[in-house]
Amino acid sequence: MREYVLAGAALLAVGMLSPGAHAQVKATPGKAENMVLLPKFLGILPFDQAHRGAEEAAAELKNPAKLQYLGPTPENSVAGQIEIVTNATTQGVNAIMISNNSGDQIVPAAKKAQAAGIKVVTWDSPIPSAEGEDVFVAQVDFTQTGRVMADMALKIMGPEGGKFAILSASPDAANQNAWIAAMQEALKDPKYAKLQQVGIVYGNDQSELSYNQALALVDKYPGIKLIMAPTSVGIVAAAKAMQDEGLCNKVKVSGLGVPKEMLAYTKNGCAPEFALWSFVDLGYLTYYTAYMLATGEIKAEPGQSFTAGRLGNYTITKDPTRKAGLRVLMGPFSIYDASNVEAAAK
Amino acid sequence: MTWLRRRIRPEQIREFSLLLLIVVAVLIFGSAIDNYYTSRTFNRIASSVMIITVVAVGQTLVVLTRNIDLSVGSIVGCTAYVAGVRIAADNGLPAIVPVLIAVALGAAMGAINGVLVAWGRVPSIIVTLGTLAIFRGLLVDYSGARTVTTDSLPPWLVDLPRLDLFTLAGLHVKVMVALALAIVIAFQLATSYLTFARQFYALGSNPDAADLIGLPTRRIVLTAFVLSGALSGLAGFMTLARFGNITVEAGRGLELEVVAAAVVGGVNIFGGSGTVIGAMLGGVMIGTLEQSLLRLQINEFWRDAVMGLLILLAVASDAVILKRLRALWARADLEMIARSAPRTGEAP
Repeated sequence: MREYVLAGAALLAVGMLSPGAHAQVKATPGKAENMVLLPKFLGILPFDQAHRGAEEAAAELKNPAKLQYLGPTPENSVAGQIEIVTNATTQGVNAIMISNNSGDQIVPAAKKAQAAGIKVVTWDSPIPSAEGEDVFVAQVDFTQTGRVMADMALKIMGPEGGKFAILSASPDAANQNAWIAAMQEALKDPKYAKLQQVGIVYGNDQSELSYNQALALVDKYPGIKLIMAPTSVGIVAAAKAMQDEGLCNKVKVSGLGVPKEMLAYTKNGCAPEFALWSFVDLGYLTYYTAYMLATGEIKAEPGQSFTAGRLGNYTITKDPTRKAGLRVLMGPFSIYDASNVEAAAK
Repeated sequence: MTWLRRRIRPEQIREFSLLLLIVVAVLIFGSAIDNYYTSRTFNRIASSVMIITVVAVGQTLVVLTRNIDLSVGSIVGCTAYVAGVRIAADNGLPAIVPVLIAVALGAAMGAINGVLVAWGRVPSIIVTLGTLAIFRGLLVDYSGARTVTTDSLPPWLVDLPRLDLFTLAGLHVKVMVALALAIVIAFQLATSYLTFARQFYALGSNPDAADLIGLPTRRIVLTAFVLSGALSGLAGFMTLARFGNITVEAGRGLELEVVAAAVVGGVNIFGGSGTVIGAMLGGVMIGTLEQSLLRLQINEFWRDAVMGLLILLAVASDAVILKRLRALWARADLEMIARSAPRTGEAP
């Protein structure tokens, strides 16, 4: 009983603290909403995990309409995404959830979808101009990403510091660039004074190029102690490259990676520590957001608060990382090392 | 001059000049990059070229027959993944099993291409553009988004890329590099001396004539595609060993590098001329440039532009220089015939 009272008081407090006049909205289960989950492309683990999370939410909400998980093949990502949005509009679905890989090229298709009364929710990667998008479900705060990476670098290189380099995805990947900028901002703190960043290279999210780029970094900067790769493809390729060259004792690898793929390198010390958010939770939260927008229980406007099942309460705010657009922020990071990577890889 | 002409074919001059170009490139990069002349640089280039080279050998055979195989990247991805899943499920399998799985699956995929091109009479660029997408699509479906991860593979496979065959003066000759080299030598010898392999050239030089003299043209085309698929399968196994983590993206875009290696190496895109050794040299040239430009850390976009320029130069030099050389050789042959002709004509 006491727990209930406490929980009630806490809820009340959160309700009063949240900006705007909206109350905490709870979803009404059992409404038939046709929804499409659209990843950047099919066939890689993180998106599949997001799909699992969305299915979990769909089951909880007892949506009688089956969730459609549609995506293009890797070769056809940009054109394929636009095609799927266009087809879904013709079919007259109620909501589309997009991890956008097409930049602003997807805007015309997304706008047509909205004109047809479809709710467009982006997740993982937003529409840069926010046109044609109702709300973006962000995995983590970009500023926090920078701090997490700076902290991992400090922990791995130790108090005496040293030189490190960055292996990113492509030079025009919006997420990665924002994260790197946030990390450089974080490094200005005197706490990190002894960490010196010496170069940035790009592996275009291809294993082969990332692998070669990691080796080129070691050749170009013989003294580096760490390669920081804020990309799940790059971090694995860099770890394998260091292992193949027998350099794991000198050059460590860190960044953002998927536990299942990193398991071997974390256990053998090549990549002692890395971070990621839960893609299962991201899919779950995205489904809740899109469902409640589609049923009309919540509106896509700043200050709107709602409860997303087991994850708790969220509020829609203006997106501080873009000029326009609204955002729901998920967070937080999970940090993985030898102690917890095995459990997470299951 | 006559002696030289009898000993050397124009294609060999082309290959020799490419070798010279590689040396020039190495000298230029050596002066621009510190610590360039080390065994490390050699190892880097060798390891990065080996996979491209194996696929380029198969591509050469296909291009010789006036066809092209654009599906090689997808075949590499599929075979790497399927072999990886199999060995991950049972780490105790003998080493030869994943190799055989990859090669057999690759050969089967190549056979599909070959049958469609030879019997379906569909241009190879259309067929293989289609199978490029179909094979990758099947892989996406089959994988169910699972990744083959390093920790699920047996230690011998993960350590294979590090394994040296022998070490000579600090140059580590890796087992996989030696394997690629052995394949180049074997196919070079076969295409030079074996009757059946010479038929690739005959068919590509003049398909009508090949048909007229009764060569089994369809079977030759099929064979070229099956071999290209099988070698892509072997490259798939090498990809599995080298990267450990295999997603559905493995081998994506490889077809461009492979076609580039063959073309830069003097394999004529219109069929009938070019050698396996040439394709390997083309691969080495591209690998040297790629690795060295990475070391120089020049802008991403410039690197691609340099690569494109190289391909254009190769094709242009083929059209201009090699044509002149061939004309020179042909004229000399004609003169020789002309010189011997009057004697027979003078006996009334």
